[in-house]
Amino acid sequence: MANRYFLACLVAVIIAGTVLYIMDQMELNLAKSEILSGYTLLGLIVFLGAFNVRKKLSMLPLLKASTWLVFHVVGGLLCIFLFWVHTASIWPDGNYEIALSIIFYLVFFSGIGGFFIQKSNAIKLTETGIEVIYERIPAELSEIRERSEAIVLECTKTTSSDTVANHYIATLAWYFKRPRFYWPTLLGHGNAKTWLRNNQASVTRYLNEEETGYFNQLIELAELKKLIDEHYTLQDINKKWLLVHLPLSVGLLIISFWHVLLVEVFAI
Amino acid sequence: MVEISVKQNTLTRPQRWDSPFDSDMTKADVKKLLAIEEIAAIKADRFPARISLEGILQNDTRIVAFKKGELVVREGDYGNSAFLILKGSLRIVLSPSLPGAILGRSKEHKRGFFDAVSQLWTSDWLPETRDPDRYGPTKTGAAKNAASTRIILQDIPAILDKHSTATINQGALFGELAALGRIPRTATVLADEDSELLEIRWQGLRELRAYDEGWRRMIDERYRQTALIAHLNEVPEFNHLNDEEIQLVADQCLFETYGSFDWHTSFKKLQNRSEADEPVIARQGDYPDGLLMVRAGFAREAVNHGTGKRTVTYLGAGDNFGMFELHNAWVNTNDSNLALGTTLTAVGYVDVIRVPASLLAEFVFPNIDAPVNMAEQSVGKSQSNDTLMQWAVDERFINGRQTMVMDLNKCVRCDDCVSACAAAHDGNPRFRRHGKTIDHWLVANACMHCADPVCMIGCPTGAIHRSLSGGTVIINDDTCIGCGTCANSCPYQNISLVQISDAKGNGLVDDQTHRPIMKATKCDLCSDQIGGPACVRACAHDALQRVDFKEFTS
Ligand code: HEM
Ligand code: SF4
Ligand code: SF4
Repeated sequence: MANRYFLACLVAVIIAGTVLYIMDQMELNLAKSEILSGYTLLGLIVFLGAFNVRKKLSMLPLLKASTWLVFHVVGGLLCIFLFWVHTASIWPDGNYEIALSIIFYLVFFSGIGGFFIQKSNAIKLTETGIEVIYERIPAELSEIRERSEAIVLECTKTTSSDTVANHYIATLAWYFKRPRFYWPTLLGHGNAKTWLRNNQASVTRYLNEEETGYFNQLIELAELKKLIDEHYTLQDINKKWLLVHLPLSVGLLIISFWHVLLVEVFAI
Repeated sequence: MVEISVKQNTLTRPQRWDSPFDSDMTKADVKKLLAIEEIAAIKADRFPARISLEGILQNDTRIVAFKKGELVVREGDYGNSAFLILKGSLRIVLSPSLPGAILGRSKEHKRGFFDAVSQLWTSDWLPETRDPDRYGPTKTGAAKNAASTRIILQDIPAILDKHSTATINQGALFGELAALGRIPRTATVLADEDSELLEIRWQGLRELRAYDEGWRRMIDERYRQTALIAHLNEVPEFNHLNDEEIQLVADQCLFETYGSFDWHTSFKKLQNRSEADEPVIARQGDYPDGLLMVRAGFAREAVNHGTGKRTVTYLGAGDNFGMFELHNAWVNTNDSNLALGTTLTAVGYVDVIRVPASLLAEFVFPNIDAPVNMAEQSVGKSQSNDTLMQWAVDERFINGRQTMVMDLNKCVRCDDCVSACAAAHDGNPRFRRHGKTIDHWLVANACMHCADPVCMIGCPTGAIHRSLSGGTVIINDDTCIGCGTCANSCPYQNISLVQISDAKGNGLVDDQTHRPIMKATKCDLCSDQIGGPACVRACAHDALQRVDFKEFTS
């Protein structure tokens, strides 16, 4: 991996150096050097977008996706550099150019953000100690909910007391209903943990031994659900960032081509 | 278990025989068999009461008739029984081998470029569609239901013309090597005329070898003369010897079998799988009397640690045990501690050859460098270092040669690997991103292409087989009858049965019973894809690897 990043950086530096050098020569000859930086940028954006095509053509021997990612990331960095060179500023003038820049930056920063979010989420997901497939989460949660309801019913029946049931309806039912604490989990806050702890503390003093037995079973399920919730949040974000990155990159491609067309047809 | 009082002159039937090989075997059949020369020569009184010779014949054998031209065993099959010819004669196809199509194998081919790309639009919409016309007896010779899975070759003269063959006659035993050694059948055998064979399953064969001197001598001698000599010629310790010396070594080797050949069935039921339940082959602290060479199966090498045992490594076919201690005893004759430094236990099933120490002193030690001391080596390693290895042995993942391991610290759970697999396999992935985990590793439910492919035992059509190149375990969809034997045998739950549909997505059903037509499916290592395993290539995060645990943990 490290070797491939080194190779990709080397290639990027060579491309950047060559482009800058030729642009310099062009300027000496009073030619429009933006043509070169512009077309290189376009080529690069097409290459970055081709990552999606590589994913679709997984059955062809088109190099490993991990190699693609290395060149994609480094290519993305080269892209922003060329973008600055091409526009000769960080924020160009003109309405059309501003729209193009917004999309460009969104794609770029979503890429950078997503890259690091994914890497860090992978480790956080491992930390939970469980593995659930994203699509299976709703089914897992409803199973947990059913089991928790069964425990409450049985507790009420065998202990003839509705303390646990009332408590459940007032608090835990909300918790078991669907994934909770999405944002706190995302931000790395322990709200779910605190909530569960308080929830437990607020009722245990009213329970007798038999009820405590049932209640502990509920808490065990709640702890499991907390881990599944974490999976939900982290996997959800792992997927959703691409929903920004991918469509915007398609938009970027379209606008870029349009931009080239306008320049070629009208400006010259 | 059947249990009736002794008064009625019956006894508790040993568990092993609760499901006889053939429930139609009658007492009269057994009587008839006892009169046959090869069986009459067996001293029945040497057998313990619970495993009587009659009991073995009754429960571990069956009489099978083969028509002229019918295949008895196929080259490459994993059989678990041997055959004794009762009547008639058979032909062994020596070389060249019969073509794969006759044996029910799939042709090894890679897709062309266009064919590969076309999976884009042929795979995605409806999973597991097939053209129903490709099945049926006409094309492959294999029929649709289990009762008629046998293959009869019509044109025997043509086969005799193109292949060199040998004849075996009444009284000959064959197939014992594959049955006892868990190796593929080395040749195809077909009936030269209408014949009758006694098929002996491995359990019975093992008892016959254990309790009858004559059968033991016959089985061992045949092994010694064929496979053992070839084996000794290959291993580095002995391959410098000349033919005479090799023969001398071979003559003195002893053969031993530990654990159960059926390990996969008991393994599936066991909850707690540790070395405590494994049969001991050699114990730490005992004095070695010979070198143990593993011929088949796996063994765990462990060293005492606290109140338990720490797994140091595992041995597979071709590895040996005790070399350090024996060598040490030869070099330092007055060393006070010459005992074994590690314990060897059978993981599942293991077949070992014991080479007496005197032979080593004569032929091996003068030619080798000092061997590694495994016990000492383990001291340098941390306990957590061993945990992964220990776990892999406990879970029997060591059997795999292409085990799918994911590094969960790198895996972003994107399922690109699963999608890529589906794209290359009729729209249905051949593995699940789900499985056993330890630390940050996940072993996914994907076929591991095992060294000991227990799934192959008992496939009635030979549809599940090892590819000739590379040893990938593959299911031939054309000859698979969906009986589920392989899926039930796989100890790792890596084979799934799927219902197939026609091009419109209508599930295909049997025309008589109206039950769905099923096919066994599993990872085939993308053997027909031009790029190789799609899963590995699809992972953008290098989280997914296919590994052999020995290399992985070292
Ligand atoms: C600026 C132009 C860029 C374009 C046009 C672009 C386009 C794309 C496309 C088309 C995909 C494939 C999405 C899919 O099919 O799943 C992708 C994925 C990705 N891009 Fe970019 N990208 C750009 C920049 C970047 C940058 C600067 C980074 C920064 C690190 C980046 C990181 C990624 C990552 C991590 C993935 C997903 C890999 C995966 O998990 O499979 N991209 N991008
Ligand atoms: S090697 Fe191919 S068939 Fe096997 S799991 Fe990977 S993608 Fe699927
Ligand atoms: S493709 Fe790689 S990162 Fe994605 S789920 Fe599979 S192993 Fe994990």
